[in-house]
Amino acid sequence: MDSFITDWPPLAISLWVSTIAGFSALVLGVSLAWYLARTKNRFTVILEGLTLLSLVLPPTILGYYLLVALGRQGLGTWLEQALGIRVVFAWPGAVVVATIVAMPLVIQTAKTGFTEIGREIEDAARVDGCGRWQFFWLVGVPVAWRGIAAGGMLGFLRALGEFGATLMVAGNIPGRTQTLAMAIFDAVQKNDFSTANRIALLLLSISFGVILLVYFTNQRIARRE
Amino acid sequence: MRKRIEKGRLVLIAALLTLVLGASSCGNWSFLINPLEISDSTATNELTVAAAADLQFAFAEIAALFEEETDSRVTLVFGSTGQLGQQIENGAPYDLFAAADRKVIGRLVELGLIEADSVSLYARGRIVLAVNRQSGIAASDLKELPGLPVRSIAIANPDHAPYGAAAQQAMEATGVWDDLQDRLVFGENVRQTLQFVQTGDAEVGIVALSVANVPEISWTLIDEQYHDPLDQALGVVAGSPRIGLARRFARFINGESGRPIMRKYGFTLPEEAPGAPGSEP
Repeated sequence: MDSFITDWPPLAISLWVSTIAGFSALVLGVSLAWYLARTKNRFTVILEGLTLLSLVLPPTILGYYLLVALGRQGLGTWLEQALGIRVVFAWPGAVVVATIVAMPLVIQTAKTGFTEIGREIEDAARVDGCGRWQFFWLVGVPVAWRGIAAGGMLGFLRALGEFGATLMVAGNIPGRTQTLAMAIFDAVQKNDFSTANRIALLLLSISFGVILLVYFTNQRIARRE
Repeated sequence: MRKRIEKGRLVLIAALLTLVLGASSCGNWSFLINPLEISDSTATNELTVAAAADLQFAFAEIAALFEEETDSRVTLVFGSTGQLGQQIENGAPYDLFAAADRKVIGRLVELGLIEADSVSLYARGRIVLAVNRQSGIAASDLKELPGLPVRSIAIANPDHAPYGAAAQQAMEATGVWDDLQDRLVFGENVRQTLQFVQTGDAEVGIVALSVANVPEISWTLIDEQYHDPLDQALGVVAGSPRIGLARRFARFINGESGRPIMRKYGFTLPEEAPGAPGSEP
């Protein structure tokens, strides 16, 4: 039973990191999606392409350059001295990585919702005296909120499953930056397959549980509507 | 309509059950109260030690003993010497670094990242030829390898793992390096290399003596004259807020409590008689 308790720091770190990262990805992703859905020019095409990159890039590219950018060779010293935040080899580093990889999922699902709002609806809202901010909250969010919620959940799950780039940026320090995914890696390297299986089962249960919840909520809303 | 709602409920129950089952398998919920506690690295009695992968078993024992004696907590982070050194260059928050060679420690001292006066030699390692017991291969000499029906030979990556570099030197010295090129597989560190042989995915491997005593493999020492001495040095990471405790752990490894454990895993010091390490197959 003792070894069961050793599972909890990775679980806590995983949930902590993915919740913050999921939320950050939600805020940043929805803002970007709103902009991308309503503005179309050469610049936005490039921007959207860039946001999709983290979905397809090898984790090593992301990990390496984030390490360079946020570590001692980059902003690391300044961040630590000016703001007192240590990013690399600490949990904020894991949050940064997870946010970046989760964002494309939020952007794509939210954007699909936002593009449903036609020009004529926007014009009608304007005629009724609706400001930009109001238009976002009173029209945009209510129309697209299922996409936003699904994107947030997907982002959270993607953050929960993040491994490669996080390993390079945040390290694999038990009790501090070791997430569930890294604990599996560690256990496999130690040839401790029973621990690896147990953590994998835990991770799968959480992920599948969240997916079922999303599915159920969507069903319920679809019925109500 | 009613039926559909019930179906929805079922899905909800299934979802909650999965979550509860998943979460309860870890038993302890105290992290919910203060998740930040886990990432608190300022506690003065919590030592983080970066250790070369060959120290896996020996350091686990030594750390447990040290924790008992000093009422502290030791977190061990294992990796290849090159990788851990790279992490320290990038500011990884380790207090002590026990490397598998002298070179990396020397470079970190030059960079001002390791306290120069804390550097000490704590082990001389050996490499062994490890064979998976179920592979049906019988090999006790590197020179036999080219003629054997072996598909994969695992060594640690010679570019950044000292035990991999020693393995390469030994294979070169015995003249089999070129012949075996396309059968080599590289582990990220000596621990992963050991695992390749343990699972049998590589029938044969060259690993550290200190990790070779596992049930799945049999092993034979490789003559020390075939490679540079695997002298392992350690040092306290500069700027660590726990320098005192880190120095104490360093002394502990080389002291009365640590030495017997190190010897048990086949680590000698140059002034010590090369003991008869472990038990050969």
